[in-house]
Formats: sequence, C-alpha cells, structure tokens
Amino acid sequence: MSPAAGPDLSMFNRFSKTFRKGDIIFCEYEPGDSFYLIQSGRVQVVRIIGELEKNIAILNPGDYFGEMSILENVPRSATTIALDDVKALEFSRENFEVLTLGNPQIALKLLKGFVQRIYAQKRTFMILTLDDVEAKVADVFLMLAENQSTDTTLMDTIEFKNTVDDLSHWAGIPSGQCREVLNHFVAQRRIELYPDRIVVKNINDFARFVNSRRKHQEK
Amino acid sequence: MSPKAVQYRANSIIYFKGDQSDRIFLLNAGKVSLSSVDIETGQEVRDLIKMGEFFGVKSALGRYMREETAIVLQDSAVMVFSVPEFEQVASKNTRIITKMLTVFSNQLRRIHRQVQNLMVSDEQVNPETGLYKIGEYYLKNKRYGQALYAFKRYLVYYPTGSYATEVTSKIVQAEEYLSRYGSGAAALAAPGPAASATIEAPHAAAAPSPTTAETSEAAQQYYNAVSLVSQEKYLEAFKAFKKILDGGPDPENAAKAEFEMAKCLFYLKQYDSCIKGFTAIAQKFPKHPELKDALFFVGRSYEEKGDKAKAGGFYKKIISMGTEDDPVVRKVKKTLRSLEGAQV
Repeated sequence: MSPAAGPDLSMFNRFSKTFRKGDIIFCEYEPGDSFYLIQSGRVQVVRIIGELEKNIAILNPGDYFGEMSILENVPRSATTIALDDVKALEFSRENFEVLTLGNPQIALKLLKGFVQRIYAQKRTFMILTLDDVEAKVADVFLMLAENQSTDTTLMDTIEFKNTVDDLSHWAGIPSGQCREVLNHFVAQRRIELYPDRIVVKNINDFARFVNSRRKHQEK
Repeated sequence: MSPKAVQYRANSIIYFKGDQSDRIFLLNAGKVSLSSVDIETGQEVRDLIKMGEFFGVKSALGRYMREETAIVLQDSAVMVFSVPEFEQVASKNTRIITKMLTVFSNQLRRIHRQVQNLMVSDEQVNPETGLYKIGEYYLKNKRYGQALYAFKRYLVYYPTGSYATEVTSKIVQAEEYLSRYGSGAAALAAPGPAASATIEAPHAAAAPSPTTAETSEAAQQYYNAVSLVSQEKYLEAFKAFKKILDGGPDPENAAKAEFEMAKCLFYLKQYDSCIKGFTAIAQKFPKHPELKDALFFVGRSYEEKGDKAKAGGFYKKIISMGTEDDPVVRKVKKTLRSLEGAQV
C-alpha cells in the first residue's frame, strides 16, 4: 500500500491539524504530549547544533513523528517544520485508543515503528556498554553499516556520510575524545577522515575487533 | 495459506535465540516459556506465555534475530502465523494490536531510559536555555515566523524565566520584522518556489487570526505585562493584565491574563483572592495545561495562611495528577516534604 493512498481517515478529521508551509509544528526542548501522523505535505526534522541547523530527516505522508514524548515526559528532541502546507492527525494520550481502534492500518504501522525503535535502542545500548572507547566508535561504524543494509560479506571498504559529531553522539562520548579515537584509526590506516564523510577501509576488521572486545568483557 | 495448528511435545524448542524467521506464534494450550538474557544485568530471564498470547512477534515483524529461546514446558498446541497472516488477524481485531502497542511502548520506554542513562553528552542543555537559543538562531537567520514560535512557546512555559525580558522584547522585534519582510519561510532549505511574504502569525492556519497589526498590539500588551511580572512589579503587572482582560475580544490572551493575575495576587500576598482566582480558572478550564501549577498556587496560599492541612491536601492532589518525572510534581513533592517536616 502506498502511503499516499493510505487508509480513509476522513472520520478522524476532528483530530486533524493543519500547518502552513514554514510553520514550526513543535520545537526541540518543548514539553510534548502528542504525536503526529502526516496526511499530506512533508515535514522537516532539524536540530540546531552550535550555529548550524542540521537536517535530521524529511518525512512524507504516512510517516509519523513525536511519539517519544507521548511515552515519556521528556522534552522534544528535535524541531519539526512544515516543508509544505501540512495536514496531520494529532494523537494524544486521550484520543490514542480511539484512533488506533478504528484504524488497524495505523495501529499496525505504529506497532512496526515501535519494534524498529526498540531494536535501534537496543543496538545503541550494546555500543554504550562496551568498555573500550575505540571499540565503541568501531561499533558505531558497524551499526551504521547495518542501517545502510550494506552487505559486508562482499566488500570491506564502506563510505559513511557522517561527521565526527554524529559518531560522538552515537558512541556517547565527548566529541574531543571521539576525534582522538578517529585520529588514531587514521594513523593505523583503518579509516580516512574527510570533512563530510568517513571511509572505513575494512569493516570486517572492525567487526572482529568489536567482537573480541565484547567477548573479553563478558569473561 | 492460512495459519497452521502445530502440536509441540514437552521439552521441545519452538525456536532458538539467534534464529531468523517470520513466524509468529499463538499459544492455545499447554505451557511455553521464553528464556532470554537481560541486557542490563546479563542474567537469564524466563517469561511464561499466557494462554491466548502471541509470541515471537517483535523479531518476526522487524525481521530481526530471535532474542529469546521458546521452550515447551508441557505438551502444547500452538497456532503458527506468517507476518501477513498475523496482520490479517490483527486488522480484524485491533484490540490485539493496541494491547501489543502498550507492551511495546513499555519496552521502548524502558530501553530508552537505559540508553539515556548511559549517554554522556557534552552538549547537555537545559530546556529553558535550549528553547531560547532556538528562537535566537531563527531570529539571527531572519526566519521570523519560526523565531516567533520558539519565543512565544518560551513565554508559555517560562513566563518568569531568566530570559523572559529579552524574549519579550525579541518578540516585538520579530513581529515588526515579520510585518515588514514576511515570515522568512523563503529561507527554508526546501525545494520548490520560495514562499512569498506571508504576513501571518505561526498559528494562523489553526484559527482565523486577527490582522498582523492587531496581533502585534495585543501580543505586545500581553508581553509587556509578562515582562512586569519578570521584573517582580506584581501590582503593575496585575493592572496590565486586568486591562487586557477588560479590553479584548482576544480569548487566548484573556485566559492567559486571568492566570497571570491570580499568580500576581499570590506574590502580592492576597492569598484569599489568589485562591478564588485559581479556583475559578480550574472550574472554567478543567483541562487547563497548567492546572497543576494553578493548584500549586492554591496550596501555597493555604500554607501561607497557616492552613497546613488544606495545603497538604492540594499538594497530594497535584502529585496524584502527574507522573514521577513531571517537574511540577517533583517541585510539589519537595514542598510537601518540607511542609510535613515542619509539622513534626
């Protein structure tokens, strides 16, 4: 089923909200108790890091966003901006059940989304619980390769469109420390570092390295 | 193809940890246990499947490896579904999905918290400063509509916050630029034709809004009053809010003004009037987003009046309305503790 020809949601119009192109839907750091399913238009997800607005994702009709805030009373972790005129269903704790009961397609989509999020969080957890900082950074590369669904059995060299800050974020370490690790990898000729990308020369070598660290830790 | 009924003997294994498969199981009779390793403690965890319960759902839906081993403890009857078969059954009975959503969202919440606990980030910003900086960023980049959104939200959450005065004047500035140069939506990194100068408030789409000039004037009046609060000039602030309340056909600002007036009364030590004010608000808007704050002022007023029993009652009520990590609840708990401590 293509998202554009999604389920008939006209009966939920009373939960529908419209945003004009350029409107902020919610801002990073705001408390939030609702999440949105896009019916039409696109939504840009951004974070302001230092003096730069960084694009995290562009979401399309059928996508949903903001679901973490409804689960936990945590502030929004990104800003969302209407990239076109946007129509979206607004879910809150109160109407959540009505919306999902009446629409199995939405409920299934949420279910699958939650499954993906759980696995993504577990994967991050595995990285963060490694003791060795170098292993942490190497494991971030492995995770990114898994997300790109690159077949690492066929090739060793992989290019990542990521920055040092991305890596330090995923590894849960300060960016200075992350840069040190990366410089060390450069000196060992395991990676090549460019302003806009990082090339890992032998991803399977990183896999062996991370596995041995993890085994060592389990003992 | 349709779901298959399968019999399993005691001590057999339905699937092993590490397997990859798109099968989903439903226990009809017998006893099945899932054995997994807790990622935090490394200890083995065993969960008994209830009769009529699905298992193997997460790994099948996500096409991930099984995280647990399903062991048959007593001879069991199990229905085996493929993912499409499961989806078909679940679509006909959405309660199955809503129940699973609850289970999964609890799991997600738990793992999310575990991950957050491990994240040592050097960019920890408190939400108040964070929100202010976002407004600053968009103002600096001439994206006035977005700057206004962030600043206005700031004042909603932190009307007496440490940046309230700056924010108030920046709102006035941004609104002026907005009316002169447009929303700045053209600066969006979006493909497509640049937006022409749309002169409207960020929430224009949600409700018919007054013209820009009116918005500015009403907003300015309101933010000036808020600014008086942040300067602790409560009497002047009270008068300014009263003027808004008396003068305007603007229901949004009127409701906010009413709330702020009751708050001023507290700081002016007019506790009876404060209680009256907030009680009226609570009755008029039982779903007011800041109801807990309102009740907190009522409780504090009673405490100031020396009625500790009533104050305690309000504090307990607020605590029962929120969750552990709600900042208002935390604040109230602290107040309640010191109140109870003082009574001993």
